[in-house]
Amino acid sequence: MAKSNNGVRILQGLLVFGNVVIGMCGIALTAECIFFVSDPHGLYPLLEATENDDIYAAAWIGIFVGFALFALSILGIIGVIKSSRTLLLVYIILMLITYAFEMASCITAATHRDFLTPNLFLKQMLERYEKSETENNNDKWMTEGVTKTWNKLMLQNQCCGVRGPSDWQEYTSAFRITHNDADFPWPRNCCVLDAQGSPVNLDGCKLGVPGYYNSNGCYDAISGPMNTHAWGVAWFGFAILCWTFCVLLGTMFYWSRIEY
Amino acid sequence: MCSCWVVLAFCCLGQLCADQNLKPQIAAPQLATNNPTLTTVALEKPFCMFDSSLSPKKSYVIYLYAMKESASAISSLVTDNSSKPLNSTFQQTSGGQLGPYKAALFNVPNCASPPKLADVGDVNKVSDVLKQYLFRVGDDGTCLYDPNFLAVCNPPLAPDTTYRFKYVLVESTEGIMKAQTLWSDPIKTRRVKLPLKIDTWPGRRSGGMIVITSIQSVLVFLLLAGLLASVSSAVMGSEDSSAETRRMSQTIQQSDPRPQLSSE
Repeated sequence: MAKSNNGVRILQGLLVFGNVVIGMCGIALTAECIFFVSDPHGLYPLLEATENDDIYAAAWIGIFVGFALFALSILGIIGVIKSSRTLLLVYIILMLITYAFEMASCITAATHRDFLTPNLFLKQMLERYEKSETENNNDKWMTEGVTKTWNKLMLQNQCCGVRGPSDWQEYTSAFRITHNDADFPWPRNCCVLDAQGSPVNLDGCKLGVPGYYNSNGCYDAISGPMNTHAWGVAWFGFAILCWTFCVLLGTMFYWSRIEY
Repeated sequence: MCSCWVVLAFCCLGQLCADQNLKPQIAAPQLATNNPTLTTVALEKPFCMFDSSLSPKKSYVIYLYAMKESASAISSLVTDNSSKPLNSTFQQTSGGQLGPYKAALFNVPNCASPPKLADVGDVNKVSDVLKQYLFRVGDDGTCLYDPNFLAVCNPPLAPDTTYRFKYVLVESTEGIMKAQTLWSDPIKTRRVKLPLKIDTWPGRRSGGMIVITSIQSVLVFLLLAGLLASVSSAVMGSEDSSAETRRMSQTIQQSDPRPQLSSE
């Protein structure tokens, strides 16, 4: 009797510990996802215009899942300590639903990260940057977002185009329709600008003289934050799910052994 | 032995006729990396190309002629019968299609002190260096449509077209051609691709995504199996215990009636 009593105590202790960890991870997941949704790098308009913004959807789900995990972990701790069958059954069912949502969030973040290739951003930049004739309000909104974001990106990161300024020369674009090649081989923000925001030497920039134009591409500045976002949501969620799996199996076993 | 002297003789002859063998060159690619572009070509100015034809007392001007390579079959003359350079414009020659047009006019570049290309790094000197070293054909996008423009118009070139250029030394007072370079090597402007043709298909799935999806699917299956197992074991456990209590109550009932009968 004493041995099985000890065994029960150990199992209870483990389950309480497991639930404490789930609670803390839930809060951490909520905080992380709120950080990603707040878009500190201002790259959301680019994704919105490509209609590929599901990594943000995954982060939104993550916020609510994290909070649910925290609440359910408290329920679980109470249920285990009281050894109540009803509470633990409710805990198991709700935890399974939360598990399903978190699984959806992880898989969405991981899958949609794969779609964010350089070509995607290149095509969108060429088709939308400084597009003058927009068809409807939605088109206008997306075009303004893309233009503002690219201007900010090129200014802050001293870069030009996705792979380099040659993107503007190799492809025709919406920009090229309103800005002729002789005066604007590439947008003005690709030039090295002085403190007032005008090019240091306009002829040097147009000719491509080294030091008067930005010769590297912006893709690293875009993909870095997006990778952090997607991998942060996907892999942290995966880790939480693996831990929750073990705790849930333990809880189910404990529940089935409770005597009325 | 004899062939060496012949080669040397030819070399000397070549130097004497230097300006006849020289051609306009494209600007140094280390300096002008964006060259040629869609509608412009930056050429090096003719440094030391005409020095043998210059006399110190007269003033000279250099004319730059441009034409499409296809025009060389029609006409490639830059002077008329009296050795005066042609005044053809971009519009008259349909952008260089029917013959050469005059694209620019500038002073003879200084052969004795050419601009130092290393000075390009200095922000104050770069404008001067670029202006003295090269000339950008196709630079002016507005002169074609400006009715008040009186100088030589240098409109943008056509994309994906081969052009050839020539420098002509003209004496300013008489207006007669003194010397000319050969036509340059064919220089082609860029061609562009349509952004519609860009392929945005991401290719194969990344390894991380496959790991996450497959492991998660397996774990969810195990959880559901575990839930079924625990629910069924709980149900069977309660059946067992209820069957036991029924058996126990039956045995109690069976043992009960006998004392009643005996008491009666």
